[in-house]
Amino acid sequence: MTLAAMSTFLAPPGARRALAAVGVALLAGLLLIACVSDEPLRAWLILLTGPLPELRLAADGSWHWRRLVRFGTVLQDTVTLSLLGLAVLIPFRARQFALGADGQLFLGALGGALVGLAWSGPGWMALPLAAMAAMLAGGLWGAATGILKWRCGANEMVVSLMLNLVAIEIYRLAIMTWLRDPGAGFPATPFLPPQASFAPLIANTGVSAMLAAAPLAVLAVALLLGRTTLGYEIRVTGAAPGFAATAGLPVGRAMILSMALGGVLAGLAGFHIGHAVLGRLPVDLAPGLGFEGLLVALLARHQPRAIIGAAFFYAWLRAGGQAMERSTDVAREIALVLQALVIVLVMAERWPWRKESA
Amino acid sequence: MSEQSVRLALRGLGKRYPNGVLANDGIDLHLARGEIHALIGENGAGKSTLVKMLYGLEQPTAGAILLDGCAVGFKSPAEAIRAGIGLVPQHVQLVPSFSVARNVVLGAEPARGGWLRHRAAARTVEDLAQRYGLAADPAALAGSLSLGQQQRVEILKALYRGADLLLLDEAGAVLSPDEADALYRALRKLADAGLSVLLITHKILDVLDVADRYTVLRRGRVVASGRSREADAAGLAAHIVGRALPPTVDAAPSAAPSTVLLRARGLVRVTGSAECLDNVDLDVAGGEILGIAGVEGNGQALLARVLAGMGQVALVPEDRLHDGVAPTLSIADNAIATSYRSPPLSRRGWLQRPAIDAATRAMLSEYGVVARGPEQPIGELSGGNMQKIVLARALASRPRVLVACQPTRGVDIGAAQFLRTRLLALRDSGAAIVLVSADLDEILALSSRVAVMHRGAIVGHFRAAGLAPRTLAGYMTGALRQPQAAARIDSLFVAPVEDTR
Repeated sequence: MTLAAMSTFLAPPGARRALAAVGVALLAGLLLIACVSDEPLRAWLILLTGPLPELRLAADGSWHWRRLVRFGTVLQDTVTLSLLGLAVLIPFRARQFALGADGQLFLGALGGALVGLAWSGPGWMALPLAAMAAMLAGGLWGAATGILKWRCGANEMVVSLMLNLVAIEIYRLAIMTWLRDPGAGFPATPFLPPQASFAPLIANTGVSAMLAAAPLAVLAVALLLGRTTLGYEIRVTGAAPGFAATAGLPVGRAMILSMALGGVLAGLAGFHIGHAVLGRLPVDLAPGLGFEGLLVALLARHQPRAIIGAAFFYAWLRAGGQAMERSTDVAREIALVLQALVIVLVMAERWPWRKESA
Repeated sequence: MSEQSVRLALRGLGKRYPNGVLANDGIDLHLARGEIHALIGENGAGKSTLVKMLYGLEQPTAGAILLDGCAVGFKSPAEAIRAGIGLVPQHVQLVPSFSVARNVVLGAEPARGGWLRHRAAARTVEDLAQRYGLAADPAALAGSLSLGQQQRVEILKALYRGADLLLLDEAGAVLSPDEADALYRALRKLADAGLSVLLITHKILDVLDVADRYTVLRRGRVVASGRSREADAAGLAAHIVGRALPPTVDAAPSAAPSTVLLRARGLVRVTGSAECLDNVDLDVAGGEILGIAGVEGNGQALLARVLAGMGQVALVPEDRLHDGVAPTLSIADNAIATSYRSPPLSRRGWLQRPAIDAATRAMLSEYGVVARGPEQPIGELSGGNMQKIVLARALASRPRVLVACQPTRGVDIGAAQFLRTRLLALRDSGAAIVLVSADLDEILALSSRVAVMHRGAIVGHFRAAGLAPRTLAGYMTGALRQPQAAARIDSLFVAPVEDTR
């Protein structure tokens, strides 16, 4: 790849607009904070720089990092959100508005934990098997939506949202009745054995070897969409369904597989949460992460290569919001408002002050 | 006709789209108060563009629109509505769960202090309906009405907004004969009340039965106009379809047709409209082109879809932007849509980008497509260049049977000639071709045999050599039909007879 090709790959024309949108939203955030805070500038700066780790010289003359845990949170969330963003992106590229990432994540986490807790064979196989179980569970749940649409004409948005509820209840049922650790103070599974969980790379965080999963997944999805016949079928089906059918493309297969592959990635995100971030599965794992994946996919404008940047931005704002809440008088919800503003600005087909044909 | 009574005048109106297509060229037209004027022409003749300009959806690139003698330039439909123009769309756009009255006032509801006044709306609508004889029950749900009644509601909607110049876009096309009659009686009442009506149509009978005057559009230009009373069907048909093309392409087949490659017997498809199939028999042999002529909407498009659905048949789809290409994807992605599954374009599920790139470049240069390169989105190309790729893709697989629908519609003359030459080359290589076209010149210039369709049935079958457009016109309108007409290769070419209905 030449340097020029590399630079257009990393900074496509759309990226400049996304960056401008981020800038405008951040400035708007400053104005918003000024309305509610006595020290708006400080709060704003903490929002922006809170997650940044700090290199400090200690009294004994050695250097050490401060606030690494917060930065670690950003990294671990980046992995989760990248996987979820891709999970939403693939069906979107086939023009399938499937919102099932949430349920697929829960079932993926559950499938991974089941294998992780039950596996008694060679220790090195525990993690790969758990990952496969997680991806299989998510993939099958995703395929279910696609098959229901193809066979019964069911609307994929309704079906996937309803299946989310079903999946979450299955998850709760399993943990409450079969996997519950009686010794834990709250309803949760036992801790996964060491052979089935990732060692943290940063102490007290969920940052692990799973960091590599985000770029690998992006690469895999980019290759899938750009370089395989299946990816071609998904793109053509999404771009022009009538044309795809007229040209004899297997439209139904592309539709179902796009949802199944999205489910595979959401399942992997569940695996990451169970085996790398939490080490066990609490029954009250919060739903809604799948929808953050939707926002990440929107922010990335459905381009795989932009997913990690979008996920990182999201995770950063979230951690910054928490830091701001802890040390100033501004609630973290401001960060949510900012995230929403960025989405609106990126999704706006044209800037209000510049007339360009969409 | 005095100058004051002219409600609408067009002076040299023209529209050239950014991609170079000249849709309207120097259109002159007068519409007086109290007059029904029919604007007639085939699909693609430029009628829709003209309507869009009158209604503020498109802006003209040449000429002027005059209302009551004053030049106007509408930037949006809202401005056109304010100037008294009402559009009755081809497909009704009512809210089915709303009552007739609420549909009529939708967007301009009588209100007081933020509260809608439904009873006042119902009264106003009833008044309007009575004044113009457009019987409609204001309380009925729009969704429960017949198409003809819904269309009356659309007219009421336009009248409610103060329109005194109605544009009816193919209003009769979706109606049954009885409903169409009722619609036309209502239009006559409106005209008697002093309103002006522009009736956009491709039906000759609309001109003769309904309109006071007519204007014929063909390829974006006015080719004829006059009083309906002095017009006759055959003359109008000749204007609409035009004269024979200059023999720029050599249509004579290089060899006699060989074996039959495509055979259909007794095709039936019931749809409840004229777009149906009624016992269609046809054969196409290798080395010949069977032309399918007919007024649009008489089953030709359906026939093409049915034939193309049989497999092993390459297709040039009628609706290029919807079925022919994926406009947002690259030229390369579009070019490989029927061949990406096999080597060298893909191996074991992996696309071979260099091979795809090379194949696309070869296609672009062989067909003389003006484009930046294989990665350019195909939607940025002109209609002609886009169609070259659609045809190139269909021909790349060396098909034995090709169904080509409107292969040169909206394409400039140079590209059209190129595309026709390609079709003839395919024929000469021994393939069987079914050519569906609204352009009679094209049918006559390319075909070996011609079949005319009317209401889903083949009503005439002719040897193309020496055939005149005028002969076909009678069959296209349904005035003539051959008994037991079929496009079988052994069908006798019988003499036409008058329909005695």
